[in-house]
Parts: sequence; C-alpha cells; structure tokens
Amino acid sequence: MKISINSLSMTYPNGKQALQDISLELESPSLVGLRGPNGAGKPPLMKLLVAGLTESAGTILADGAPLRENETAYKRRLGYLPQSFGLYDELTGERVLEYMAALKGLHDQKKAVQAVLSDVNLEEKRRARIRTLSGGQRQRVGIAQALLGEPRFLIFDEPTVGLDPEERIHFRNLFSRAAQDKLVLLSTHIIEDVQSVCNRLIVIHHGRIRFSGTPQELIRMTRGHVCTFSERPEEDAALHITARVNTADGVQCRAVARTLPAYAQPAEPTLEDAYLYLIEEAET
Amino acid sequence: MRKVFVCELRRLLLNKFFFGILAAVLLYGWLLLSGEVILGVAYTAPFSPWSFGYYLARLLPLLWVGTLFFLTFFTSEGERRTAVLTGATAVDPRRFAGVRCMALLLGMLLLLGAAVLLAAVFFAYTLHWHDWGSLLLPLLAVAVPPLVFAAGSGWLLGGACPWLVYGWMLAPFILSALPLPEALGLWNGTLLRSYPLTLPADPPFTLPAAVWVAQGLLLLAGILLLGMRIFRRGRL
Repeated sequence: MKISINSLSMTYPNGKQALQDISLELESPSLVGLRGPNGAGKPPLMKLLVAGLTESAGTILADGAPLRENETAYKRRLGYLPQSFGLYDELTGERVLEYMAALKGLHDQKKAVQAVLSDVNLEEKRRARIRTLSGGQRQRVGIAQALLGEPRFLIFDEPTVGLDPEERIHFRNLFSRAAQDKLVLLSTHIIEDVQSVCNRLIVIHHGRIRFSGTPQELIRMTRGHVCTFSERPEEDAALHITARVNTADGVQCRAVARTLPAYAQPAEPTLEDAYLYLIEEAET
Repeated sequence: MRKVFVCELRRLLLNKFFFGILAAVLLYGWLLLSGEVILGVAYTAPFSPWSFGYYLARLLPLLWVGTLFFLTFFTSEGERRTAVLTGATAVDPRRFAGVRCMALLLGMLLLLGAAVLLAAVFFAYTLHWHDWGSLLLPLLAVAVPPLVFAAGSGWLLGGACPWLVYGWMLAPFILSALPLPEALGLWNGTLLRSYPLTLPADPPFTLPAAVWVAQGLLLLAGILLLGMRIFRRGRL
C-alpha cells in the first residue's frame, strides 16, 4: 500500500487553515508515528485520509489512484480508529463487531470477529453489552473494529488512551506485528509508543510538516541542544525547561536550547527532548 | 446488507422503549375499542370503516411518537459519534441509508400492525365480525400518510439537531387540541365524528376531497423527505 499526499491544504469554512501544503509518501510495511501539539492539524489530516473531509487543495493518491475517485475500493483496504467515537451501547461487543464486519462487506463475519476479539483480548467480554464495558474495554472494541478484515492501511488516533500500561504494551506489540506487512499510521501523545515501535516519525505543527524521518534522525538533530543543570533563582529565557526532578542535591532541571549556557552540562537527547526542541524552534 | 438490516431492526425492536410503546398502544387501543368504538362513531356500526378510522386517528399520536422514537436511534448524538466509524467503512452511504429507512418503516408498520391486530381480535371476539378487507382503505387513508410524513420530517429535523425529534413528537398532541379546518380534521378526530352524518345512511367509506389532498400531500412529502435522506450523499 502506498499513500502519496501532494501539496495538501485544508481550510475550514470559517477560514481557519488546518493544513498547509502537506506532501508525504507513506508506504507499507511501515509503522509511522504522527505527533504534534494540540491543534497542530493531526485530526484533519487523518480525516482527509479516511475521506471524511474534502481537501481545499492538493491530492491524495492510494496506490497511484486518486482517493476521491476510488473511495469505496480504498475504504475496503482501510481500518480507522478515531480519537473520539461512539459504539452502540445497547449491543454486545460481538454484535457491534459483526455489524461493522457487515458494513465492511466481509464474507466470513463470525470468523473475522473471533480473530479480532482474540487480538484485543476481549473474548471473555464478547457477550457483554457495550454500556457495561470499562473505558479501556470500549477502546479495545474500537481497535478491534479497525482491525476487522485485515485492512492494508490502519489509522489509529490515540489508540492507547484509557488503556493500562500492560494493555498499552500489548497493543504496541500488536501494531508492530500489523506493520510487518501493512501501513500503520499511529497518532499519539505517548512518546514511549513512538519510541518503541515506530520506524518513522512525522511531526506536524501549525498545519505544516516540521519533521519526517526516523526517530533516531530527530534525536541526532537535537544533539548539542539538550542540557541538565541545578535550578537557578533567575530564569534563562533562552532555555526551555522540559523536566524538573527533585534530588538530594536540590532540583535538577533538563532543558533544550539552541545555544547551551556555560553553567549547564550537555546531555544525550531523548526523543521527547528532540520533539520539544523541534516544536520550540518552530515557534521562534 | 441483510445482516445490517437485521442488526438495525434488532436495535429498533429489542429494547425497553419498543415494548413500552407497544404496551401503551395496545392498552390505549383497548380502552378506545371497548369504551368508544364499540358504541359506533356517527351512528355507524362499531366495525364500520368510519369507527375503525376514528380508532386509528385517536391512536395516531402514539404511533407518531413511536415512529419518531425509532428515528432517534439514527439521529441521536451517540449515533453521530458512531458515524465516524461507520463512515470509514466501504458501505455505500445510500444503500446504508436505504436499509435504515426500511428498518424504520418496518418498525413503524409493526406498531401499526399491532394496533390493527388488536382491533381485528376485538371485532372477531366481541362482535363476531371478520370482513377485514373493508378496513384497508381507512388504514391507508388515515394512518399511513401521517406516519410516513413523521418518518421523513423527523429524519430531516433529527439530521439538523437531534433534540428537534423530541419536540416534533408533540405535534399531533398539539394539533388534537386545536380547532382545525376540515382538511386536517383527521388530526383531532372531528372529521370522522361529523362527516358521516352529512352522508346518506350506511355510507361507504369516503373522505372529503380536501382531506384526500391533505393526506396525499403528507404521504408525498414523507416519501420525498425519506428519498432526499437516502439519495443525498452522507450518512444519517
């Protein structure tokens, strides 16, 4: 599966520009992380990728064919989990998935439903009504419906929100396995999710792509811009403090800056540091 | 799409609301039949099409509410949140809307059918009367057009704002309390109590031309609104 996004822009009817001149190539097998601050333009990008919005300019090609002209065929290859979604509370998880399988036009619906229930560890709760499930279990039903029919392109928007750490690791591994032969786009605020499974990271800010590459490349770009130091009474405006830790010797600060001050000790950047530095640089 | 249709129908029918409204229709219907219809309307027989039409007209507000409650399954805020998932599937939006429309109309017909069955049982056991065919015309003239209009107009309103459907449920109750022109006389029950008195004795079932036009327009508007909903691009 290959998705080509060319000069994509999206402006809402109220004039707010959500995306500006986005160009990207996404190709399977790959697990692509999508990060950006709130309001950066991630949801519009994902909605455009599921044909839920109409672009103001530019094109999206799926395997070389314009998405708009081949929407039905494209959607047969698509699995989507939005950040906010509803399920039919009065139905059981199994019934909801059978319904979604029917909408997806799957032939062996029962088999497909059993497979995804097993994938998301929800077999025991398959007969429970949605309204009786916990937030994490509902989220798992959401993930399960996206996985139905083994789509070749999976889009997950904050899929691990509401899941406990053990479940998060389970789903990270699940996404990682899926990405062995599929294209998976994972939008998340949880840096560990990106760090542990994504082989590519896209950072979007103010509707523009600020970075596209491997997490390692982003970290390398930040070398020499991360430091630690003991907290000082006066604030240094050039520093952007990313963490404060109470230690036996006082408060230790971690910060990113274009030029490190003499009193600070350079530190090896993490992906979080690199991301924050990128966003800071984009703001200035 | 058969699976989707069955699933939609199950959502509409296997819930407390359906059984509640069904019980209300049957209870109120029984009270009407045993209290008013058994006496005959406008000096016609209790089993006359006039009395049966009056029975349906009086039940109409409950059937209207039932139809609109079915609709809330497709227009609620919760449904809108679910639409982000269903909208990303490969299903043809028009076929999907068509299937939902069929499920809605079938649910509506089941409620109406229960009311008709109750009357049929009442006429058979109480009055030993079995000429069901003569009841078809009042059924089609009195009940079907307003209910199809309820479905079409409710869908339009619910698409704009889910809460409008609940407000729209009050419409027949408000109309039943108003003095209405003859063309709308079915809504407050006055027409079927007075019109037969203007006709020769033992009249066949007929309605004034203005009423036929009004009912025809309601049916047409209902069908058009449902068609608009199905054929316009985008989901419910």
